[in-house]
Amino acid sequence: MTTRTEKISEHRIHTEPFYLPQGNELTIARTAFQNKLPILLKGPTGCGKTRFMQYLAWDLKRPLVTISCHDDLSTSDLVGRYLIKNGEAIWMDGPLTSAVRTGAICYLDEIVEARKDTTVVIHPLADDRRELPIEKTGELLTAPAEFMLAISYNPGYQSVLKDLKQSTRQRFVSMGFTYPPPALEAEIVSREAAIEQKTAAALVKLAIMTRSLMDAGLQEGASTRLLIHAGILIAAGIPTRVACRATITETLTDDHELLAAMDEMVSSIF
Amino acid sequence: MNLITVKERLHQLISLESLHSWDIDEHVDFLTTLPEETREVVYEQIMAIWPVSYALCFAFLDQLPKGLTCLHHRQLSAWVNATLDIYEQSGLQVANRFLAAVETSFAGKQNGEPGLTFDQVKGRLQPYLTGLAGYEITLAHNEVSYTNTTTIYLPANVSKFSKSEDNFLLYKLSVSMQWAFLSCGLFRLQTPPEDQLIIALGNKYEHKWSNQQAWLQNFFAMFPLPSLAADLFLLAETVRATTFLKNELPGLDRDAEEIRQQLQKLRPDCSTLTGQEKIMEGLKQWILADTVNGGWATREEQIRKRAEQGLSTQKSPDASPYGSAQLAANLYADLTLLPGEYQSTMPISYVGILKPGEAEQAGQQRREKNRTHFINALAAILPKRSKIKEEAPAEGLAASPPSPLTESDEGTIIQPGREDESLRQPQSDNNQTQTYITINDEQLPLPESLQPLLREIRNDLGHIPQQYISSANQRAGSGISTGASPEPEEETNSNPNVNNYDEWDFRRNGFRKNWCTLLQKELQPVKGTFIAETMLKYRGQLRRLRHQFEMMRSQQRFVKRQRDGDDIDLDAVIEAHSDLLAGHPPSERLYIRLLRDQRNINAVFMVDMSSSTEGWISTAIKEALVLLCESLAVLGDRYAIYGFSGMRRSRGELYHIKHLDEPYNDTVRGRITAITPKDYTRMGPPIRHLTNLLAESDAKIKLLITLSDGKPEDYDDYKGDYAIEDTRHALLEAKNSGIHPFCITVDRKAHDYIAHMYGDVNYIFIDDIKKLPYRMPQIYRNLTT
Repeated sequence: MTTRTEKISEHRIHTEPFYLPQGNELTIARTAFQNKLPILLKGPTGCGKTRFMQYLAWDLKRPLVTISCHDDLSTSDLVGRYLIKNGEAIWMDGPLTSAVRTGAICYLDEIVEARKDTTVVIHPLADDRRELPIEKTGELLTAPAEFMLAISYNPGYQSVLKDLKQSTRQRFVSMGFTYPPPALEAEIVSREAAIEQKTAAALVKLAIMTRSLMDAGLQEGASTRLLIHAGILIAAGIPTRVACRATITETLTDDHELLAAMDEMVSSIF
Repeated sequence: MNLITVKERLHQLISLESLHSWDIDEHVDFLTTLPEETREVVYEQIMAIWPVSYALCFAFLDQLPKGLTCLHHRQLSAWVNATLDIYEQSGLQVANRFLAAVETSFAGKQNGEPGLTFDQVKGRLQPYLTGLAGYEITLAHNEVSYTNTTTIYLPANVSKFSKSEDNFLLYKLSVSMQWAFLSCGLFRLQTPPEDQLIIALGNKYEHKWSNQQAWLQNFFAMFPLPSLAADLFLLAETVRATTFLKNELPGLDRDAEEIRQQLQKLRPDCSTLTGQEKIMEGLKQWILADTVNGGWATREEQIRKRAEQGLSTQKSPDASPYGSAQLAANLYADLTLLPGEYQSTMPISYVGILKPGEAEQAGQQRREKNRTHFINALAAILPKRSKIKEEAPAEGLAASPPSPLTESDEGTIIQPGREDESLRQPQSDNNQTQTYITINDEQLPLPESLQPLLREIRNDLGHIPQQYISSANQRAGSGISTGASPEPEEETNSNPNVNNYDEWDFRRNGFRKNWCTLLQKELQPVKGTFIAETMLKYRGQLRRLRHQFEMMRSQQRFVKRQRDGDDIDLDAVIEAHSDLLAGHPPSERLYIRLLRDQRNINAVFMVDMSSSTEGWISTAIKEALVLLCESLAVLGDRYAIYGFSGMRRSRGELYHIKHLDEPYNDTVRGRITAITPKDYTRMGPPIRHLTNLLAESDAKIKLLITLSDGKPEDYDDYKGDYAIEDTRHALLEAKNSGIHPFCITVDRKAHDYIAHMYGDVNYIFIDDIKKLPYRMPQIYRNLTT
């Protein structure tokens, strides 16, 4: 029986990711890391949760193992399984296990998408035991001090099926993320998409307008990510109004009236 | 020669004995001026109309010159056909009117560019405006554009331009302009009568300041010609707001450039005007297109140029409404050098007019509403400083116990300082940033849900008055609003359809035992056309909804690692094989099976039947229920519907419409038809009753969905904080029994209290009641997938 781990070095982040802190989230996360506490990031889609994790991993000089959760994600997908190689059974660590072994940061993105029986695996890791039992191999891994568990979810989903159980959420240090304040958001968009500050500020203005439409039937307003997409298309020479339509208005809704209203906002601003 | 042939031809076509030749002479004159080709087309039309109606034929000939100004001769036959259709349907008079209004009734449509009506653009502009402002400003139509600060009025239709895009742009420009006026603080202008400008005016025109009307009206009244002063002020503000728009919405400004030019061309000729009116007209044209038509005498031109220079100063970013008032006073003095009685000229269409009186009135109402809202909402989030005892002293609010942090005896504990200092924002931008409020040297973050309200108040007053915060603080501190305890009424009933429920009293942090009586009643099914009409009205949506719900039903998926199944699970086999090789007992779960997802959901819909739903809301709720039932019939989820209402704690009423296991049949349909608004909204007892009902059912997911139009409120003192806290407590009880409460509301003010009752994501607000029927099944779908 041989054990094989994934090459964790691939998950190291060598260059500093671009991230502008919105508040004290970095301090909290660093302190949580030092005190071996897991973290929970919540916030609307595209507001910078994943980027924050990348930055944190770079900052703490730990590899970052990201797992995007979905409803077919099984415990073996996280923990690991036996594979056959040359007639021999080889244990293959799952991403969670290899992160625990090597003291990496394991980030479970959109945790609510995973089935509830799967999420239970992380429970012993997320409290003061910091253990990961591997049933198949009979191992009981204890996480080293450098290991950190992070999960994220979007509380805006109004589905009763996609709610985080109290038994899960109460193990974490929680950090709420929202869209950054306008000036900061403009700077982020301008840097990420390599566009002028002025255009970025106008994109942010548009985003704020769409976010006011949440009562008029829009599920979510334009996220920072959408603005960056728009900015990238603009930087590549696509006319601004066309770029906004393709990346923002059409992405946000199918409702004709809202589409038309948002188009009017675009043509007013640009 | 030409004349004679035309006349002969016409006589051939119109052969009427009693006809005098002069009856057609004038038409002959006109026809001779037409090119041959056009004339032939006209003859054809006459041949078509004459046999139908002589009178109509003459009406056609009368209107022909006008018709040809806006129609190509090839469009004539379509025009005549349309006219004949109308004649046959509605008679001669209507057809005559149709002919006479050729430009609007026919030419526009024919060219594919009708004038736009307000209804056509509202759907688009309302969300646009909400987006711009960040809070809700209503759109409505009126004769001219103006705003009263809560509503923006636009003309009922716009047909200034031949192209419908241009007409739309004019609408959009009007909305944006009125928004700019509001954003720039036009209606915030207010200086005390001691201000030097007002004193100077008082001396100059020998008029005493009066406080009788809105500030702006008082100001204009200082001048001998108030309407001239008002118009000048509006011009100055227009220049300022235009600059604001240019910066905020550069795209709109660019797009509007062309229509501004065109609007200038449509302005009256300055040469036809004299005196002040001429200057004003000139200035309007200058604002529109930087150019002026007509001939100008040197003196007039000088005055105009000076005014233009003056107005240009309002383009500066530091320009203020006060500057506009000063400028209006200066220009007024200059313009009145010219003689004449001043009468307002046509306003710039997208700027419209000022109605300071209405604005003042609406503003006051809104301010009062916002003030109470803000104070209540803020009080709800402020930490309760200490609980007051049940026997609160009669002084009520002032008697808040001294806080450990300050020893102020007034009960206000705000740090004195500049007004705006109590509200601090880390960033200078006033959008979307976290706002803090300083109380007792402590900074409390303001919740996101208060932001739109905050923005509205700030827009209105420019800052958040200290008094709002101190009131909220007092309110939070006292923990009690008003109202004595309701009188207990002894009533026992052994009827099984009567239940007694406790009610939560937040003031004493405990229940009032067996406080409310809830009677269960049957709603007598009513036969009617309501169901059929609804089905017909929403037939398109219904088809789509059924399809969507079918998709949910047939959610099939492969489940892996089963003991038996349709196919071998390759992953499992490999794993079992490797387990075997590794010396572990292999799993027996090696099959894949197709599983149809069991939807194990029970939902109870609790429908508000209070009197406030009277009218549209009740109809929409009923329609929503029909659509929902139709959709759910496809899905097969178990659901129940109950209506609730009642009056006083002794008579809460719960109307049974559909039990969980009752099929959706004609009886249920009849009960839905029978839903009518009754009395009040005491929400606690029905929630508690339905919670028990749901808790007993065995589904994995239990939903309690409330459809409501406002706050919980009853005839007695079940209102305000007391009602909200009781409802909130009832909902917490529901949550503790594993039920997910959710609320669908159409109350515009819902944000302040619903989030507190249901939790931030457990409610949805529907801004347009007409959308409720279609949205409701979709909300249910979102909730359960």
